[in-house]
Amino acid sequence: MLARIGLEAGDEEFYADQLSGILEHIDRLQQLDTEDIPPTAQVVEIASRLRDDEPRPSLTQEEALANAPAAVNGLFRVPSIQEET
Amino acid sequence: MTDDLTQLTIKDASRLLRLGSISAADLVTAHVQRIERLDEHVKAFLRFTPELWERQANEADRRIRQGDAPPLAGIPIAVKDVLCVRGVETTAGSQILKGFKPPYTATAVARLFAAGAVMLGVTNCDEFAMGSSTENSSYFPTRNPWDLERVPGGSSGGSAAAVAAGEAMISLGTDTGGSIRQPAALCGVVGMKPTYGRVSRYGLIAFASSLDQIGPFARNVDDAAITLSLMSGLDPLDATSSDRAGMEVLNNFGAGVKGMRLGVPREYYDVKGIEPGVKAAIDAALFILRQAGAEIVDVSLPHTDYGLAAYYIIAPAECSSNLARFDGVRYGMSEVDAPNITEQYLETRRKGFGAEVRRRVMLGTYALSSGYYDAYYLKAQKVRTLIKRDFDEAFKKCDAIVSATSPTVAFPIGSKTQDPLSMYLCDVLTLGGNLAGLPGISVPCGTSDGLPVGLQVLGPQWGENVVLRVARAYEEASEMKAQVAEVV
Repeated sequence: MLARIGLEAGDEEFYADQLSGILEHIDRLQQLDTEDIPPTAQVVEIASRLRDDEPRPSLTQEEALANAPAAVNGLFRVPSIQEET
Repeated sequence: MTDDLTQLTIKDASRLLRLGSISAADLVTAHVQRIERLDEHVKAFLRFTPELWERQANEADRRIRQGDAPPLAGIPIAVKDVLCVRGVETTAGSQILKGFKPPYTATAVARLFAAGAVMLGVTNCDEFAMGSSTENSSYFPTRNPWDLERVPGGSSGGSAAAVAAGEAMISLGTDTGGSIRQPAALCGVVGMKPTYGRVSRYGLIAFASSLDQIGPFARNVDDAAITLSLMSGLDPLDATSSDRAGMEVLNNFGAGVKGMRLGVPREYYDVKGIEPGVKAAIDAALFILRQAGAEIVDVSLPHTDYGLAAYYIIAPAECSSNLARFDGVRYGMSEVDAPNITEQYLETRRKGFGAEVRRRVMLGTYALSSGYYDAYYLKAQKVRTLIKRDFDEAFKKCDAIVSATSPTVAFPIGSKTQDPLSMYLCDVLTLGGNLAGLPGISVPCGTSDGLPVGLQVLGPQWGENVVLRVARAYEEASEMKAQVAEVV
């Protein structure tokens, strides 16, 4: 449910079987003592770089909406997320 | 005659173009005719871009006539379906992006366009670049030009097959765990993954952002090197792109291997499941490199056995986060008539994602979920440090590392689709390079049972020129230039 992917009947067992096989392989990581090892946050050393904060052209509203499955009044349309009061 | 034009290298084609013996339009026509004859068998392409190739070939011919032709003027290229090209349908091999026309062009592609390249079309790949056989494409599997019953490798299988079949002179792929090098090996062409940060990822549909890199396929090392040099370098639109000059990848790369130390990691040399024919081809390659003056030294990468496990935490974790954007709201497929927003998400993603993508999104979501984060994701990132340190240690003893690219040659279509772990093992020799951010190349090194074998060369970070130097020296000494497959 966290992944927000719907499953069909029977899918759950299919994926559970496959994923437990993969997780079993992954469990070998627990054999390693990593107590004093830092995690890799960034694999190459690249100096932190900031771009100048200058206005520049971006997508027009029309371009941004060009691929929208549903749009209305220049906005993306989604099902209502609040009940009407 | 026209088929001969599909066997050329960039250097030869450029010479003929500048002499006026052929035009860019001739080159395009020759490739399109070959595609029309062969691609119904190979199925390397998902779609073609006739408007682009016409406009770009005309422009290339105009520039050539004016005498100011850019370096790739008129060179026909193919682009993997994960790299955005403005106005050209780009779907990452997925149903969920069917019909998506990007409003911008990926920097790597834009740079090749600026260098005069002519785009022929979009190549097939595993859905969201997840796979090692191109069978996970939601459209159709691509076939290996050397044996149509076998896979071309993946995930950039279409790009590798197109170059192997003479359907494009060069192509672009992406490599997250081996997705350029492994299909290059299986299709008998050259494929290069750069150092993480060498090539801007702007406009690449992200799979695993800390591992993804874009790179070229070609039929010789020179063509791969020139293409890479032209797409490299700083891009303000990708904060992880390096400001190193693209041209540095060419430094000294023709200098040969005399006096170089080449490390053979014993864990790679004897990797579980390596086929005897592949091993024999690698032994022969090591002999040739020694003859050419290299010193072959024994090195060790002691955490190799943990690489796959770390990779299959980190890559799915990053993909589950990256693929959260496919929600049916802004682009792509959507269940617009769903009764509520949650149903819209669930149904859109159920219908839009194939089995492998679902597996990895679920695995990644699990690994990142509260209570499991330390045991999985953090642990994997720590093991990643150990793997990187292994390479750092190895590069104290050698200038570059050589091994097989893939433990096996191309396997029959369908033979690994039921067992995800067996498919993942295809990348066991390549994914270490991604975890450590290293540059790597695969070059053809003979055959086993009539199928291509690839030699992998890995270098230290930013050592593309070292990697290319070894690969080029091997290519020259072995006379093992990639062939164009006859197909039928």
